[in-house]
Amino acid sequence: MNINIASYCRLTNHKLEVNDIDIQIQKTEASSLNDIYRHLNLSYPKFFKMDNLSKAGFLASELLLKNIIIDKETPKKDMAIVLMNRSASLDNDRTYQTTIQYENNFFPSPSVFVYTLSNIVNGEIAIRNKIMGESSFYISENFSPEKIYSAVMNTFSDPNINQVICGWVDYEFNECDVLLLLIRKENQEKIPFNVNNIYHLYT
Amino acid sequence: MEALILELKKEIIEVLNLEELTPEDINEDAPLFVEGLGLDSIDALELIVLMEKNYGIKLNNAAEGRDIFKSVRIMAEYIAKNRTK
Amino acid sequence: MEKNAWFIMIYQWSNNIISSLGFTTEENYTAVKQGNTGLKYYKNPFDFPEDAMLSLIDDEHLNNAFSSINTKQKTAYTRFEKAAILSAYKALEKTNIDVKSKKVVFILSTTKGNVELLDKKESELYEAERVYLWRSAQLITSFFDNPNEAIIVSNACISGAAAQITALRLLQQKIYDFAIVIGADVLSKFIISGFQSFKSLSVDICKPFDKNRCGLNLGEAAATIIYSSIENNRPLLSNNIVLLNGAIANDANHISGPSRTGDGLSIAIEKTLQNTNIQDIALINAHGTATPYNDDMESMAITANQLENIPINSLKGFLGHTLGAAGVLETILSGVALLDNMLLKSNGSENPKTICPLNIVLNNQNSFKTHFLKLLSGFGGCNAAILLKKT
Repeated sequence: MNINIASYCRLTNHKLEVNDIDIQIQKTEASSLNDIYRHLNLSYPKFFKMDNLSKAGFLASELLLKNIIIDKETPKKDMAIVLMNRSASLDNDRTYQTTIQYENNFFPSPSVFVYTLSNIVNGEIAIRNKIMGESSFYISENFSPEKIYSAVMNTFSDPNINQVICGWVDYEFNECDVLLLLIRKENQEKIPFNVNNIYHLYT
Repeated sequence: MEALILELKKEIIEVLNLEELTPEDINEDAPLFVEGLGLDSIDALELIVLMEKNYGIKLNNAAEGRDIFKSVRIMAEYIAKNRTK
Repeated sequence: MEKNAWFIMIYQWSNNIISSLGFTTEENYTAVKQGNTGLKYYKNPFDFPEDAMLSLIDDEHLNNAFSSINTKQKTAYTRFEKAAILSAYKALEKTNIDVKSKKVVFILSTTKGNVELLDKKESELYEAERVYLWRSAQLITSFFDNPNEAIIVSNACISGAAAQITALRLLQQKIYDFAIVIGADVLSKFIISGFQSFKSLSVDICKPFDKNRCGLNLGEAAATIIYSSIENNRPLLSNNIVLLNGAIANDANHISGPSRTGDGLSIAIEKTLQNTNIQDIALINAHGTATPYNDDMESMAITANQLENIPINSLKGFLGHTLGAAGVLETILSGVALLDNMLLKSNGSENPKTICPLNIVLNNQNSFKTHFLKLLSGFGGCNAAILLKKT
């Protein structure tokens, strides 16, 4: 049994690359995440309720899974989502803080509070694709191919899991830093899932 | 009332992040929840915040909101009657 | 899982709880067994403009206890860090583990860490980096001179179970010999206001599974379990709790509302109970937050797995919902109770009524069965189940 990288998506402020193809997006708005959404011609109004972190992870997952998950309705119990970042949900936490900072303007926002957890991005990807396997989120000071590798291999301890969406999803101070990989247990060897390959796809 | 209905539509679009809609897209007599705009429980909670922040009307729970949020027009009529801002 | 991993048993060497009910596991268990709750009514807690029913760690006690162990360090620690460090310290005291060894790893479970530092009034007291969970984790591991980076699990309210599952896997693969699992969260205006905006808080002591339940109570705690591996050919001491299995699954339905069918939790339970004789299960310690939808959802998932006759309890009426600490804290208490042949009552519960009827423990009762199941659910649609047994 081989563990392969079946697909990847790299998304930063300066780059959008999916499986060795560079995608050029015309920037028309202040938020380039919204530009990417429109470029993809998606019909998913819930997108606009998401915080930046969830938008970034969601968009990367749409590209990662394009032509791979065609049927978004059937439950996928053998697929896990294991993500990591540095800033947790601080980008959105700071937005929530503005709704409670001042006593004379104290209006806590539930639609913002709901995104004050980093694993909500896992939830958004799961809902979109009906992914019902394990869902985990870890925090690390720096991007670490070793930690991603280790977390995914540990997820395969669950014998029901054959595929893992994994990677680094970070958004803070207007900087987007996402690398998503789709990892699969397969009979043939293709692009092996290992620390070196994760590192090369990130840099 | 028409001015309040238009204002309310704009506010709903903004606080609920209904980015792809314009006020003209919202029928003031159509249901807001389940059918119509298909809003959910978090949207209902956000509308409760809207009522207090913009109109000074305090609702205590989602159940109170259920009757008031039936449509934009019903919301507007309730606001016109009860607003303190 | 490799076959030979089955021969490595993972057991709790030591544990600790710091909460409103005390600073040791024994104090907490004694209080809960006597039916005492740590939930109290607070006026404007943490400058929150409303009142709330909360379970809070006593600040003065925390500061005094922490000062007495903080002999070397000159760092000023936050409330969250003090609670986490103190809890781990007290758990370690009961062992002879060399915490400076590379074979010892810290696993930190928390939802919001130092989030109160985002408030302009608090932020001036600490450096900007202090809001990052990895920064707090560094301060925790360096307090003990442990050379490894802590593994930081931030998976909403299932973090405490997710951290234990991580420990199980790492120890079974012999990557480490000991895992110090710390679950900790402290409350703040940030957290309380957020749950209030969801209208999910009960102003009275919560009533898990009760027909009149109307919301949850928030709590804060730090709880530590030190897991150790043991090979099959070494005798295991009696009076131990062994971690057997665990699983996580997503509802894929809504980011904050519980699934109306309990699918995700049902899958997590099913995966966890593979190869288990249901007759051995003494207790299911539920998530049991006492919101109308959560408790119904759990009843469906439990019933879908034919477990509805097994005694079920929730500890949220004693200590509130302690977020990142919950999974660790409630596992400890359920295990200690089981070693005492006891199933603890669900404080606050009087007239159970859920969509699927359950066998709710309303009064402390004896059980001599050996296994218990811990359930947790969290925002983002995640659900976890872990299975433990006493030896």
